[in-house]
Amino acid sequence: MRLVIVVGGGEVGFHLAERLSEETQDVVLIDSSAARAEDVGNRLDIMTVVGNGASLSVLEEAGIRKAKMVLAVTSVDEVNLIVGLAARRLDVEYVAARISSPDYYHRGAVLSGEVLGINLMINPERECARETLELLRSEVATDVASFADGRVRMIGLKVREGARIAGKSLRTLAAELPEHHYATAAIQRGEQTILPRGDDTIEAGDQIYLLSPKDELDDIPQLTGYEPFKLQRVMIAGGSQEGLHIAELLEQTGVEATIIERDRARCLELAEALPKALVLNGDATDLELLEMEGVAGMDAFVASTGNDDTNLLTSLLAKTVGARKVVALIDDFSYLQLIPRLEIDASVSPRLSTVNAILRDVRGEGITSVATLKGIDAEAIEFVAAGGSKIVGKRLDGVHFPPGARLGILIRGEEIIVPQADTEVRAGDHAVAFALPTCIHDLEKLFG
Amino acid sequence: MSVRHLVNIIGLLLVFVSIAMAATGLGASFYEDGAASALFASSGITLVVGLLAYSVTRFEGELTTREGYAIVTFAWTTVAVFGALPFLISGTLDSVVPAIFEAMSGFTTTGATVFADVEALPEGILLWRSVTHWLGGMGIIVLAIAILPYVGVGGMQLFRAEVPGPTPERLRPRIAQTAKLLWGVYVGLTGVQIVLYLLGGMSLFDAVNHAFATLATGGFSTKSASLAGFDSAYIHYVTIIFMYIAGVNFALHFRAATGRPEYFRNEEWRFFTMVIVGAGLFLMVSNLMAGTYEFTVAGVEGAFRHGLFQSVAITTTTGFVSADFEMWVPAAQGVLVTLMFVGGMAGSTGGGIKAVRVLVLLRHTASEIRKHLHPRAILMVRVGQRTVREDVLLNILGFVSLYVILVLFGGMLLTFFGMDILTAVGASAASVGNIGPGLGAVGATDNYGWISNPGLVVIVFLMLVGRLEIFTVLLLFHPDTWKRQRARGLSEARAARPRK
Repeated sequence: MRLVIVVGGGEVGFHLAERLSEETQDVVLIDSSAARAEDVGNRLDIMTVVGNGASLSVLEEAGIRKAKMVLAVTSVDEVNLIVGLAARRLDVEYVAARISSPDYYHRGAVLSGEVLGINLMINPERECARETLELLRSEVATDVASFADGRVRMIGLKVREGARIAGKSLRTLAAELPEHHYATAAIQRGEQTILPRGDDTIEAGDQIYLLSPKDELDDIPQLTGYEPFKLQRVMIAGGSQEGLHIAELLEQTGVEATIIERDRARCLELAEALPKALVLNGDATDLELLEMEGVAGMDAFVASTGNDDTNLLTSLLAKTVGARKVVALIDDFSYLQLIPRLEIDASVSPRLSTVNAILRDVRGEGITSVATLKGIDAEAIEFVAAGGSKIVGKRLDGVHFPPGARLGILIRGEEIIVPQADTEVRAGDHAVAFALPTCIHDLEKLFG
Repeated sequence: MSVRHLVNIIGLLLVFVSIAMAATGLGASFYEDGAASALFASSGITLVVGLLAYSVTRFEGELTTREGYAIVTFAWTTVAVFGALPFLISGTLDSVVPAIFEAMSGFTTTGATVFADVEALPEGILLWRSVTHWLGGMGIIVLAIAILPYVGVGGMQLFRAEVPGPTPERLRPRIAQTAKLLWGVYVGLTGVQIVLYLLGGMSLFDAVNHAFATLATGGFSTKSASLAGFDSAYIHYVTIIFMYIAGVNFALHFRAATGRPEYFRNEEWRFFTMVIVGAGLFLMVSNLMAGTYEFTVAGVEGAFRHGLFQSVAITTTTGFVSADFEMWVPAAQGVLVTLMFVGGMAGSTGGGIKAVRVLVLLRHTASEIRKHLHPRAILMVRVGQRTVREDVLLNILGFVSLYVILVLFGGMLLTFFGMDILTAVGASAASVGNIGPGLGAVGATDNYGWISNPGLVVIVFLMLVGRLEIFTVLLLFHPDTWKRQRARGLSEARAARPRK
């Protein structure tokens, strides 16, 4: 049996281990703190080793000779780099390292991932910023994910009162909108998650997950009851590393950014790094400051102070005084459950986005892309149908799908297909499916 | 403050000046105008004084910052005094103050003259005036640093005090190498300009004189009418290009010459170029609209050429004249007066406030306005990719304020000697900025010969203060400069150590 070794038992390491072990991988987690290792070991069905992950004896104790994959995700760049190098020397097939400092990943870094033979160098703050920006681009989205190299997007949103699609069944909608290729993958109504069939209806107030070709995204707001939206001014509360990256990305796309930071010294760093953005020295929860700087006129507001409580509070404040789209960075998984009940439009978990990015990269044979949805307990997964697999060459109504899974959209070359009962899957097709975690393996068998 | 250091270095510089005089004398001996002997005599006197000063003192230990500033100021004053000798000995001027004025105007690359009829001067004297420009342009002390290795210790103090701009760049780790490279570029460009002038049919004598005056952004001409005395569009365009080149940071030229052109990446360069071209086009259009030039092909070309010429000449503080701009519309003159304050780029041979300081000032103003709209904003003043450090920013703001105050104060002093306001302020601005032609009675076609001796002394001071960028000179008026340094004991001890 080939092992997966996770070095670092922080939030990222914990959730990676959790997800991998749920998907029947054998996981060994290394952490330098005995208490933390024990805690993780008690909560997850994995083996833990206490020690410095950069030490060979510790790695050997964890079974690195039998490992197929090493994921170095401690909070220290240098440790992750050394673990990566050691793993490489011991011929581990796949190595990922979490690297935050631009000195190591920027263009011109002396030791790039390629030189070192590290398959994936991932910067959590950048991943988070990228995901946040995706969310900001559309007013409606509460979740976003890309599939098939960005040609298909998944978007989660809340259907508004009076929306054109409200109160209609999927079958009716398909007939009404023949030119569109939307697939409704999941509906969250109150506590209930529905993986819908043709007879199911969409109601106002539902949280829905749509798959859409990239070029048809623009019509979604209007169909779901929203005004057209163009992102021009964004206020970022909190000059954390994530906040800085978001502001940088906004500057690059020509969006006006205002960033508020409490610490004066940090403000100077921000002002140095951001030639165009306006840097303000003040408290993100200071309502007077927010109003004076025109939070009400902002197209979007991002709370990125690095503190979940402050982020929740300031997001709620911003929404109350009129910011149009409010996104909070929330790391605590128990808070994440809370978001859909609050007046906050969307949330990003910096750690979860890192976990997702790593999982996307490491998934086995058939799977190329995965998105974990925050509000509901399902995942969106991209498969490539292998020749000779069970799903190939049959009409879909003849395929036995696991009950907790739905096929969303098919990508065949340039063509994007919303599958019907009589659709046949061909070898090489990409398919985006929705599944509850327990069904993922059954799905893999269908495609593998 | 070590007087021995001071006298020693100044003695050495006088030897330099004496060599330059002798070389000019050699050049003048081709013309039988009697000036050659005056130059040789001046050279002799200067050599004797210089060697005496050099041999009775010794340069040991290191230069302190304040010594550096003092040496540069005194050196420039002394050099101007000895530079006046050829005018006096040849009899072209018979009193001391106007002679020193002419020499100081030359070394500081101001280009203001007391001579009403330049054509009447002997060739040797004309050449000497151009040589003073040429030496003063890149800096006589920078030249000394380039040639004499032993000044290298503490050379940065001298270098900083003489090279214009907020923070001088080093092209090489050693200051002497940097000085050598700068002088190399300077000499090379001068050579190219002389050749281009010759190709345009200028005489060798005129070509050399004007090339010296152009590259130094000086302004002395061999004609009373300045460049307007040459009725050739080609010569005007060559002059425009080389005045512009002289106004650009020589470090940029050096990089371009070594295959790494980075003009466009340099924000000061973009600003400087934009100002010159923008003002040039404005002058052209305003002159065409006012009817100063006709709407014919030749008229438009003339308006373009003279507009650009005057824009470049005033901004780079060269002060050449291709057309009598005092006859232009008030709007055009207003623009020219404003350009007098901009000046060349830092690290050029130009005077004035310097483009980078103006740019920083504008940026700072914009950020102050923004600060009023967003009281909590943390704003950085940027030039190019770099943010301007706060101490540098304060220094620049201080410099610009002081510059303006000095112009006004100088203007006020000049009115005490009976000058009208326009002339006084114009002369003051033209002298502090090392430009040359001012306004009113010292305008484009006038000279400074009519001004009384006390007035000339004031202007001499203004030219010196302007060339050495104010702080270098004003430092000497601060009592701390003359107090014993606490670390003196240490440096004294170091100096007393036997030399290796």
